[in-house]
Amino acid sequence: MDSTDRRRPAAYLYLAPAGLVFAVFTLIPAFYVLYISLFNWNFLNSAQSTFVGLKNYGHLLGSSQFWHSLLISLYFAAGTVPVGLFLALGIALALMNPFTGRGFVRLAVFSPYVTPVVATSIVWIWIFNPQFGLLNGLLHMVHLPELGWLQSQRWAMPGVILYTLWHSLGFDVIIFMAGLSTISADLREAARIDGANRWQEFWSVTWPLLTPTTLFVLIITTIGSLQAFTQFFTMTAGGPLSATTTTSYWLYELAFLFYRTGPAAALAVLLFVIIATLTALQMWLAQKRAYYQ
Amino acid sequence: MLEHKPNTEDQPAPVSIPSRKPKRKLWRRLPWWQWLLGLFLVVIFLFPFYWVIVTSLNGANQVLQFPPVFLPHGQWQNYIRAWSEAPWLRYFLNTLFIASATTLLVVMTSLLAGFAFGTMRFWGKSALFAGFIAMMMIPQTVLLIPDYIVLRDLHWLNTYWAQIVPWGASVFGIFLLRQYFLSFPREMIEAARLDGASEIRFIWAIAIPMAKPALITIALYVFLGSWNSFLWPYIMTQSPSVQPIEVGLATFLGTNGTDWTGLSAAVVFTTLPVMLLFLVAQRQFLAGAYSATGGVKG
Repeated sequence: MDSTDRRRPAAYLYLAPAGLVFAVFTLIPAFYVLYISLFNWNFLNSAQSTFVGLKNYGHLLGSSQFWHSLLISLYFAAGTVPVGLFLALGIALALMNPFTGRGFVRLAVFSPYVTPVVATSIVWIWIFNPQFGLLNGLLHMVHLPELGWLQSQRWAMPGVILYTLWHSLGFDVIIFMAGLSTISADLREAARIDGANRWQEFWSVTWPLLTPTTLFVLIITTIGSLQAFTQFFTMTAGGPLSATTTTSYWLYELAFLFYRTGPAAALAVLLFVIIATLTALQMWLAQKRAYYQ
Repeated sequence: MLEHKPNTEDQPAPVSIPSRKPKRKLWRRLPWWQWLLGLFLVVIFLFPFYWVIVTSLNGANQVLQFPPVFLPHGQWQNYIRAWSEAPWLRYFLNTLFIASATTLLVVMTSLLAGFAFGTMRFWGKSALFAGFIAMMMIPQTVLLIPDYIVLRDLHWLNTYWAQIVPWGASVFGIFLLRQYFLSFPREMIEAARLDGASEIRFIWAIAIPMAKPALITIALYVFLGSWNSFLWPYIMTQSPSVQPIEVGLATFLGTNGTDWTGLSAAVVFTTLPVMLLFLVAQRQFLAGAYSATGGVKG
């Protein structure tokens, strides 16, 4: 028996540094937040916290603010996830055929993704400026009504969604291009020879084979949208009048502006449950679909 | 024994570029609709970059014109004014230190854990691996409150530590390197062991050079993530002496929020380093985005 087949206690030493970081800053805190959520937690002196059981959850589920924030999160997710998926796939398909300058186009589409959100959201705040902004300038030129954008309750969220799509779409495009490049050209060729047109070929060959990639993009963009924070912080601060107070933003307000640690912890737990459920649901749906094809 | 050719970064990135068919006329390689769409995409995605540069170089009178002025006017004093109004150098050095230290730490912990998962047998291996992967499921937002308390108890609030150590391990890094070591020729590890090379020396002398493309990908993404991070340092620190550049920029937005030319100048000089890094290492960045899909296709 050669030496690699021995079980090696030394392995644990190799895992220790990463394991320690995960344990102290991820695993234990994950249980800790669950624990905090059961208390009327005293932010300054945790010894004075009192156990309240599930009361924090009860208050959350009974408060209109909670449901409002969920609705706002849902609005943001609806504006970024399906729209982003559709646009990213479209762009990726258009960029699959080689043409002069394709590399540059791909680079341009990807580049916003690497920029810091604080910095580029500032650029967009300026673009969205109702009085002197570029966007209203363009609307003015084509004789469309100018909008209040981030300062209007109605248009603030579309504005943040537009920024977010600009910022993150490139990553999804690259993922789709990677996925598309693994689909054998022979299969598509075969479909063509069998008389399928481009559209039929896409639906019967490309789309089914792309399922793992689509699922991956769907999951990471959903999780990302539910966790999005920085653009809301810089662009709208949850406003105007809580028109963009997502669950994540409300969590920040509860915890670090109002110091209501107990309810905020309960909200964090609920957020985790929501994200985990959505992820599981998407995986289950995709698997179900995969059987039929 | 060890003549297996190391994978250097000279090899093409995995984002494959299907080879162009040679000797076709330009107009055939460039169907008009693709060309138009490409142009459209470039304009949409790059215009905000152009726009912030234009704004940063315009005077207050050009900026407050409507419809907007599309060309820059060479007002470089915006940069001087913006630079003098916040401790930017300090923010830069803080960010550089935090991002470099985090990157080094992640590379180290990923290398060790990836090596163990990829080449060793030990009790509880698959359970531990699943456990490590599961760490990815717990979102940062959820951890803010408990980690704040943990860091407070460690007396790490408002220090560099709070911004480095909690980010010192990466599921993505461990996963990528494990995949790498799994594909490693077994005989090579054996041969090194028979030669009496210690494992650490093996990692140092052979595994690191061979895993270089993966390590570069991990390092770039961790560095970028650390440089761009905002929420975490914003919550965990208060004083500019330890704060990173994005927190400084948000503070600047709060104090100088109506000075659009100065603000744009600050956006340009704070973002320039990451953009340069991206332009220099664009291939590795794109390859890294590609390797992220490895996680689902298994």
